[in-house]
Amino acid sequence: MKYWKQVITVTRWEFSRFFKPKNEVIGIVIMLVVSSVFYFGGKFAFSDTDKKLEISVINDIDFMLTEFLKDDYIINRIPAQQKSKFLDRLKKEKDGVLLETDGATFTLFAYKNSRDIKKLKTYLTEYHKQREMQRIGLSPDELSAVLSPASIVETFLYTDNSKNRLVLSWFFAGLMILAVFLSFAYQFTAITGEKQLKITEQIVSAISPQVWMDGKILGITLTGISSMITYSLLSIIGGVLFFQFTGLPASVILEYLYLPSIALYLPFALIGVLIWNAILAAIASIITDPNNSGKSSLMMLPVVFVIASFLVTRDPDSGLSVFLSWFPLTSATAMPMRWAITEVGFWQLAGSFLLLVLTFYFLRKLAAKIFRVSILITGKEPTWGEVYKLSKQS
Amino acid sequence: MENHLIKTILKVSSLSKSFINVKAVQNISFSLEQGDIFAFLGPNGAGKTTTLRILLDIIKSDNGQIEWNLNGKSNKLPEAGLIGYLPEERGLYLDIPILKSLIYLASIRGMDKTDAKKTALEWLERIGLADRAKEKLQVLSKGNQQKIQFVASILHQPAFAILDEPFSGLDPLNQEKFIDFIKEINNQGTTILLSAHQMPLVEKIANKVSLINNGKELYNGSLSGIYQTFGKKQIIELQFESPLNESTLQNLTGIESVNIIDDSRVKLTFGETTDMKSVLSQLVKVEGICDITSHKPDLHEIFLQLVKTHRQ
Repeated sequence: MKYWKQVITVTRWEFSRFFKPKNEVIGIVIMLVVSSVFYFGGKFAFSDTDKKLEISVINDIDFMLTEFLKDDYIINRIPAQQKSKFLDRLKKEKDGVLLETDGATFTLFAYKNSRDIKKLKTYLTEYHKQREMQRIGLSPDELSAVLSPASIVETFLYTDNSKNRLVLSWFFAGLMILAVFLSFAYQFTAITGEKQLKITEQIVSAISPQVWMDGKILGITLTGISSMITYSLLSIIGGVLFFQFTGLPASVILEYLYLPSIALYLPFALIGVLIWNAILAAIASIITDPNNSGKSSLMMLPVVFVIASFLVTRDPDSGLSVFLSWFPLTSATAMPMRWAITEVGFWQLAGSFLLLVLTFYFLRKLAAKIFRVSILITGKEPTWGEVYKLSKQS
Repeated sequence: MENHLIKTILKVSSLSKSFINVKAVQNISFSLEQGDIFAFLGPNGAGKTTTLRILLDIIKSDNGQIEWNLNGKSNKLPEAGLIGYLPEERGLYLDIPILKSLIYLASIRGMDKTDAKKTALEWLERIGLADRAKEKLQVLSKGNQQKIQFVASILHQPAFAILDEPFSGLDPLNQEKFIDFIKEINNQGTTILLSAHQMPLVEKIANKVSLINNGKELYNGSLSGIYQTFGKKQIIELQFESPLNESTLQNLTGIESVNIIDDSRVKLTFGETTDMKSVLSQLVKVEGICDITSHKPDLHEIFLQLVKTHRQ
């Protein structure tokens, strides 16, 4: 009981040290402001591109081309003699497009290549296809039948709603990375800072390194999870607003919030964050000077493993995917992704989760042991070999 | 006759610890009875802090035994609440308000938060920093930071306090204040184990001392005992009117060592058996002496003498 009392005291301390509601709000406000600036700024910046492009057409003898384009472009039919005059004006005004056709070839004149030109080329390709089909004598119905997509009725034994579940698993993977990254920053500040300030000696004279490490891992994980929750709620609110603005029903977002998925993903993500916090705490324990340590780059490890877990989505039933969904450094994200897109037995979920929990249990013990031997080393940074040797001695 | 009312609360036997190339502690033994103020003395790098860290289980010893009898459970490191620790190097959160840090450090030693706050405020009042309770530690001077560090180590009213260099960074006035604080908590029942370099301060409070050098024990026993064992020599300090000419002292007999303090002052040490009457009669004949003082060696002088002899 004493152990838990001390762990809770340290957990609360670490959480209150790093979770600052004021900073969280400031972060969210900055994010909203930046997003709004990008969204509305982009809208404003590209508002010109919404207006119809003006095309001057030469030699469209049967009016077919102009008829085809008229709904999406402003069409001016001009005589061929005005071509050189148009080109002179194009140099000065840098605006407009000249389209010349001899029936088989289209010649375009514009000031520079642009998105509009690419779009126009797809229209011309479509127009060319239709002309060619008419030329070989297809009736409008036949033409429509040729152009229509294949009619496919899809029936799968599994994957009901799997797309939504997969999106949600990606969302959780993203949140996990967010939490791990925030934790990484806090662990660095907490552990290396305390080593430099010699606080650790004071603390471990009162509590065991294991209590201190457990409290730190839990407290900083809680900080990360709090940010996860904040950003999840923010994403949901943002999603609802997005659907409101785009005219889609806001209820679409509820389709993604499938409770059984959340019940599965949340514990996996939680243990995943705890595991990475234990690893990061162990690494931070060895580092004496964060600015000059080669071990700082190891902090990028979580990203590598989370990205690796996305391989599952290519073929969820392959040997590699099964391995990733069981391997404790990837299973927190890989197993939910596999579960979303293929049939995964309950025993696999339970087994993978149990392995994840056991890995955390032993990693936190290892982290405390590394911390114990590294705590008083403040000069030269120990190598992994030295840490191993010292931990054998202790 | 053995006094059964005196309770031995810490017994250290044959303690040794080596690091890669250094024998930090070699075969050290000492014991503390309830109510003792035990001073652990030694030059820098003597092994004092290593010994204290071993006592607190921060590092493990290679050999030796530590027997605690503080909470009724022999041989086990006592609960955190029974021990207070002032580390040699200051270790507090610089970026967190002072009061908050103090409450946290007391609470991890098992003190109730409300009591911790009340006692912390009382102590802050006593050390003259009550009005700065909500400030961050980093804004305080080194001396004031040391005061906070001291409060953090005894706030939870431990039965046993280990104070590693408690006077470090303090001005003479505050050193005197700390002497009073240490005496006070000792009178209230806290047994003290301290390490320090300031011998005159140690002389004022300690009843037991252990002197170590290069990890080896040179003396272990009562403070009065160290004077009885090593303080029998005679020291005479001479003050000259003008800068001293060393040849002036050439004819004096019985001198064990000469310690030149400055241009016009010199300290002479004579052996226990030296006839001091004869020495004085010789000194009368020396020209230019304007002041003569005589005393038995103090702790500082005994310390220097023992360490010097051990190094030789």
